[in-house]
Amino acid sequence: MTLAETLSFLPYGQYALYIWLSYGITFILILGLFVRASINYKKIRSQLKSKYAREND
Amino acid sequence: MWKWIQKLASPKVFYETTNKLIPWFFWPFIVLIIIGLYWGLVLAPADYQQGESFRIIYIHVPSAWMSMLVYFIMAVAGGIGLIWQIKMAEVVAKVSAPIGATFTLIALVTGAVWGKPMWGTWWVWDARLTSELILLFLYLAYISLNNAFDNPKTAAKAISILAIVGLVNLPIIHYSVKWWNTLHQGSMFNDMSNPSMHPDMLWPLFIMVFAFQFLYGVLALVSARDEVLVREQNSRWVRAVVTGEKL
Repeated sequence: MTLAETLSFLPYGQYALYIWLSYGITFILILGLFVRASINYKKIRSQLKSKYAREND
Repeated sequence: MWKWIQKLASPKVFYETTNKLIPWFFWPFIVLIIIGLYWGLVLAPADYQQGESFRIIYIHVPSAWMSMLVYFIMAVAGGIGLIWQIKMAEVVAKVSAPIGATFTLIALVTGAVWGKPMWGTWWVWDARLTSELILLFLYLAYISLNNAFDNPKTAAKAISILAIVGLVNLPIIHYSVKWWNTLHQGSMFNDMSNPSMHPDMLWPLFIMVFAFQFLYGVLALVSARDEVLVREQNSRWVRAVVTGEKL
């Protein structure tokens, strides 16, 4: 029994594996872009705050 | 128009504009992606030949289109940066690269996953697939080249030239299905007044294309805003933005 057949109980039957795999990978990659943007946002502000604090000392 | 562009070339105005525009791209993206996914995954009927597997089209086609559009924007912005020395154009070009590379990767992966049940293989060295893979390599080369230079000015020049040279790949991707005998299907939109898709399947595709455009917009604006802060970190206005001090 193939993986596609095993997962055929999911919505979209025999194509469930392929559809959910495509949408899942896309979701993870796009989420990755948002996470990266959020990390950069915090990192840049924190680095700049430290830099300005050092300059004020 | 020219005055507006000149105004936008100022890093401070560019930063303020990107800040204001972010919600105008984010909320339409959320609304369109919800409608597009519901329509494409639930309401649209199954294809009479491909069955349910055709639903992969709703992420494959928008990401493939965006992979080319983002590269075009990157090359044009790079060109503007080279010719008119507008730093903010360099920023737009630089921040677009990882987003475009991700769209290209999504197009390649979803195409491969669709290809397995439809063609019986994950990959073929078909002209469309190969030229799209070259586009991914161009994005990766662009990002690597940018990281290879310590001097941002030199880096901006080098990556802009690379982006412009790489533009030649876009018509190759687009016309590959006409110029060569490919396994990849031809364009569905040769005649926009008579598309080869039923409106019940076509409308969610258009909605997803718009959703992906807004997605690019919001991601590029957020990254551009942060890039400007780094580049202009010695300016008083950046210090005021970050620390909350008054100018």
